[in-house]
Amino acid sequence: MAGKDNATPSTYSPSPKILKKKRAPVFTDVDWVRPDGRGFHQCRPAYLRTGAVNSASGSAYIEIGNTKVIVSVFGPRESKKAMMYSDIGRLNCNVSYTTFATPTRGQVSDCKEISARLHKALEGAIILDTFPKTTVDVFALVLESGGSDLPVVISCASLALADAGIMLYDLISSVSVSCLGKNIVIDPVSEEESYQEGGLMITSMASRNEITQLAITGEWSTPKLNEAMEVCLAACFKLGEAMRACLKESASASQE
Amino acid sequence: MVGLSIGEKHFIEGGIAQNLRTDGRKRLVYRPIQIETGVIPQANGSARVRMGGTEVIASVKAELGRPSSLQPDKGKVFINVDCSPTAAPIFEGRGGEELSSELSGALQICLLGGKSGAGAGIDLSSLSIVGGKICWDLYIDGLVVSADGNLLDALGAAIKAALSNTAIPKVNVAAGASSDEQPEVDISDEEFLQFDTSAVPVIITLTKVGREYIVDATPEEESHMDSAISISVNRQRNLCGLTKRGSAGLDPSVILDMVSVGKHVSEELMNKLDSEIAAAEAREEE
Repeated sequence: MAGKDNATPSTYSPSPKILKKKRAPVFTDVDWVRPDGRGFHQCRPAYLRTGAVNSASGSAYIEIGNTKVIVSVFGPRESKKAMMYSDIGRLNCNVSYTTFATPTRGQVSDCKEISARLHKALEGAIILDTFPKTTVDVFALVLESGGSDLPVVISCASLALADAGIMLYDLISSVSVSCLGKNIVIDPVSEEESYQEGGLMITSMASRNEITQLAITGEWSTPKLNEAMEVCLAACFKLGEAMRACLKESASASQE
Repeated sequence: MVGLSIGEKHFIEGGIAQNLRTDGRKRLVYRPIQIETGVIPQANGSARVRMGGTEVIASVKAELGRPSSLQPDKGKVFINVDCSPTAAPIFEGRGGEELSSELSGALQICLLGGKSGAGAGIDLSSLSIVGGKICWDLYIDGLVVSADGNLLDALGAAIKAALSNTAIPKVNVAAGASSDEQPEVDISDEEFLQFDTSAVPVIITLTKVGREYIVDATPEEESHMDSAISISVNRQRNLCGLTKRGSAGLDPSVILDMVSVGKHVSEELMNKLDSEIAAAEAREEE
């Protein structure tokens, strides 16, 4: 994909390259190039920041490639009166997409299910006994959907929770891989996701070496599964380190 | 869900550690499974599965629809699960809704495979009638009649049985229609196509209690779990889907171990289900 367009004039012409990419069989070859030219096991560049929203107890913004997500955490605050007494805290998660997040306006994927999966991924890492009778709200907004949305939302939510000072066992980082033909590609973009034959998403607490959530779709043989998990866990660890560095940076900046 | 005293909890956990559960089963043994097919005359296929006190009904309805632009030569399948408050009072209102969406999400992951449909237990290309124009839409509905633990495995079995019971009417496409028109179709009343269900995977939920894993957990055992994984395995013993339940984290090596144990159990379950389904079909024909 080295952009050898020497024969074509600089004016716009329907590029055969793009047409080719629209076809799934390209992905089944052994050596194709990813749409953004990355290696199969190379993640997109990430930009992390905490304190994106002033009024929230904690917030974070993550940009991984074209996927842009903002998460605010409110609370812990008193649970609604209708709620029953609970001696552990409650977690309330809500994920929404902007209408302009996807190529077709308002083409929202199932927000309710994504919210439920975010909840499941987070609840294992939060020490809920530290805020009884109260609720923590986690609101996520996907500004731009560029693939691997859920993993980015999960990582961003964990960063926001840490920024809000909610007690966590460990930072959660989440990474997904797609299986295309014989290859396993990490951190897929939307295009790759729509052609994937199988997908695997890991949410892990890297320094505890624990997996809090795991979802696998498609057919996987054992060696392939092992490889995918290894690749994913390594990437989770790296992302976790980057998140930790981001938190340290914002903490030292606020002290000054 | 189920309120247990500390003594009861110890009793259950101790039993599991010694490979003897409260109802006399070993760790990796299912409760007796009963299958009945063709229970809903209105549907194209249906089945009722009983697993101990758990009872679920699955129905398959086929309707003509348009294929999605991403996969023009494939049909579509929708899975929906309903937990009626008649099964348990906690299913009323939001409690049922949450469980329903969790179950249908898990079934979706376990049976429908990746977004492109590859690796799906259900062969979607056989649902296509005219590429890019008309296909069958399968609506799979699960109903929880009575909840007594291990709903997901029971639903998986019921869907497998209902699909093998499904008869899809044969469609004759009127010839001569131009390529950009919607072709006319004629649905036959007499000829039906049987659905190939040999690739439909079985779902096994392994619940981790202490250091051991159990299958087919009762509600008492489920309330005790810290985490469980549900895997779907096809006849080739390949993993087709996996979801994790429960909030506690698991070590990666433990997950891989659970997957291999699950694959081992799957073979037995697959054979048992096949023979039960065949027996149910034979009974229905009598």
